[in-house]
Amino acid sequence: MKKTVLFALLLLLTTVGIFSCQKSTGSDAPAPADTSLDRKALLTQWADSLVKPGYQRFNDKLSALKTKTTAFTAAPTTASLLDARQAWQAAYLEWQKVELFEFGPAESVSLRNHFNIYPADVTGINRNITTGTYDFEVATAIPQQGFPTLDYLLNGLATSDAAIVQQYVASANHRRYLTDVVAKMDQTFGTVYGQWIGSYRDTFINNAGTDASSSLSRVINAYSLYFERYLRAGKVGIPAGTMSGTPRPEKIEAYYLKGALPLQLATTAHTTVQQFFNGRTGRPSLKSYLDALGAKDSRTGQGLASIINTQFGVSAQQLSSLGPDLYTTITARNADAVTSYNEMQKAVRLIKVDMTSALGITVTYVDNDGD
Amino acid sequence: MRAGLRHYFQGYTSAAPLATFRVAFGLLVLASVGRFWAKGWIAELYLKPRFFFSYYGSEWIKPLGPATYGLFGLCALCALLVALGWWYRTAAVGLFLSFTYIELMDKSTYLNHYYFVSLAAFLLMLLPAGRYFSVDAYRDPARHRHQVPRWTVDALRLLVGIVYCYAGLAKLNSDWLLQAMPLRIWLPAKNDLWLIGPLFNYPWVAYVFSWFGAFYDLTVVFFLLYRPTRPWAYATVVVFHGLTAVLFPIGMFPYVMIVAALVYFPASAHEQVLARLRSWWGRSPVAAPAERPLVYAPRTRQALLLVLGVFFAVQLLLPFRYLLYPHELFWTEEGYRFSWRVMLMEKMGQVQFKVVDGRTGRAQLVNNDEHLSVLQEKMMSTQPDMLVQFAHYLRGYYARRGVHDPKVYADAYVSLNGRLGKSFIDPTVDLAQAADDLRPKAWILPFDDEISGL
Repeated sequence: MKKTVLFALLLLLTTVGIFSCQKSTGSDAPAPADTSLDRKALLTQWADSLVKPGYQRFNDKLSALKTKTTAFTAAPTTASLLDARQAWQAAYLEWQKVELFEFGPAESVSLRNHFNIYPADVTGINRNITTGTYDFEVATAIPQQGFPTLDYLLNGLATSDAAIVQQYVASANHRRYLTDVVAKMDQTFGTVYGQWIGSYRDTFINNAGTDASSSLSRVINAYSLYFERYLRAGKVGIPAGTMSGTPRPEKIEAYYLKGALPLQLATTAHTTVQQFFNGRTGRPSLKSYLDALGAKDSRTGQGLASIINTQFGVSAQQLSSLGPDLYTTITARNADAVTSYNEMQKAVRLIKVDMTSALGITVTYVDNDGD
Repeated sequence: MRAGLRHYFQGYTSAAPLATFRVAFGLLVLASVGRFWAKGWIAELYLKPRFFFSYYGSEWIKPLGPATYGLFGLCALCALLVALGWWYRTAAVGLFLSFTYIELMDKSTYLNHYYFVSLAAFLLMLLPAGRYFSVDAYRDPARHRHQVPRWTVDALRLLVGIVYCYAGLAKLNSDWLLQAMPLRIWLPAKNDLWLIGPLFNYPWVAYVFSWFGAFYDLTVVFFLLYRPTRPWAYATVVVFHGLTAVLFPIGMFPYVMIVAALVYFPASAHEQVLARLRSWWGRSPVAAPAERPLVYAPRTRQALLLVLGVFFAVQLLLPFRYLLYPHELFWTEEGYRFSWRVMLMEKMGQVQFKVVDGRTGRAQLVNNDEHLSVLQEKMMSTQPDMLVQFAHYLRGYYARRGVHDPKVYADAYVSLNGRLGKSFIDPTVDLAQAADDLRPKAWILPFDDEISGL
């Protein structure tokens, strides 16, 4: 009987072998090379070529911002205000390239909450300035700090630059608040960057599984959450009124400066999302990993990575058509903004559903016997 | 034939297999509850969410707030008492009721092996598993019985056999056998496993696993029943389930099956194990109790056989109820649960609800995560019956917040076994008005593909 079982097994294996050989000579995707499905290589690429250099560039811009705001508070003039504003713009743009890295150290200090939750709480900010007592760690203080608050402090405090300068000349509390906001950003980011330069990089690349606590799972979670909530909804959807039914253009990013910057921030963020997906040619990326998996739509045989890139293209184009001034576009051509939101939504689904599914990532810790 | 049947139903066998099953099962459930508690899932799954997905017909079964801990405690206590065979009948009833109540509190935690535990606990309420190697029999030797009707042991074997065979039948479909889905997605995700991991990068390995898995599920029971193949078959059980435990986040399921498959060993093997346990205890019964078989009163016997007959008829038919629904089972999931369909689908979805004021026409979008846990949202987004339940909840929620006659629409997108996602339900249908019952749901959009097989 044992022989019979062994024979049956052998027969089965042979059948399967023949069967799968037939499949692979057909139209199926080629068998992947081992290295391209190496998650540790992918994580290493992300850590060393995206996160750390990205943070370094942002750190430079943040230092420049600190220098310029310090100069401005030391001697408030229209020239030093313009310098500070310039540095704020540059840092804000650079921030768009790193905001999506909200995993690991950034996640544990809630970096985004300290940097870019808008609209700014102007009432709260003014109260803080008047009373001179505030704690940037409490939940209510989230919209009273970071880039949106600097937007208000540098651009929205008064209607003219001269009046803004005058405000800082006249009020030590204003100078102190500006200084404290920048210092808090500098300090919070410093701890995150410090950990990446330090030991976290190794922790990150060595957690190379696919369960809910793995680096890949955390990254994909942060990536799709960023795209869905902070780019699609935050930068376009909520101001365009897709959530509430009424356009709320005052909820755009960099509302107090307006002009070209808000859209520039959004397109920078969108480009970052695309570049994060594609990586560099010949280097590990989500695209190369999906291709190596042979991920494709089994109905049509089309590769998933190329479907995603096509949609990214459509979505990027629609977003860039909202210029030159996002604030005006949202009221004047609201339908275009809604279309842009909808195109991003299509891309969000490809990332959040199709890509996540193809990667075989687990999204919860709870037991699961197969959806 | 009739005579053969009558002869079978009058046969007797040692009570030992029932006793080992009772002990092992009780301890396993105890460990499960402890693990669940230790991982903080009681709070996460039953205390934190604002809304729970109840089962059709048992809407009154809900988490009990902080008392839910007491419920789990009760369940653990009953499991321990069952293992010890102490106040056995009461404990078995308590175990069945408390465990089943827990499982019915929220659909999103549905797992096939929880369903198996409920069914096995149901059988333990009826079967004479507390009469041998138990505290009850030790304290009151008059209750001791060394032999029980053969059909009482076979009832457990039949239940385990149904689980395996139906799990195997469910694998006989084109996605599993011809596309090696979903293993083709799941295996490469484990390619960092020691030694065999790199193999998972090759699609042919997924085919081998798929075909072997189907063959295993369909045949293992028969190899376990046949004496010469039994040790090999059991070794396969351990290896197979051990491997699934390493590969997939399926919790206690592998251990439940490894333990359950022990019922196929003959009475002598069970007696040896229990004798060894006794000797470890260093305590053998003071005076060997009289060797008495358990003889049921005719009425009791008849009633028991009738209940078991109905139970197994339901077990055999229930998994086929999906035939009553018109569309693809994997897509609509109408008749999917309680059918031993394990690890068959990689299904993922995203759903965006929109609530429209019936008077003003003003629309707003819903943030699911303000109402649901990560697990609930994940489960809901691919299961139509849960989508409509949540829509009804939203109708009430927004009505209380001043929206007149709320209409609820869902834009859902679902991907199944590697197919590119597509729209899942009709976004123009007001789910607030859709019926939440067992009838086919006409608002599920077509799958636009075919999965052939059972």
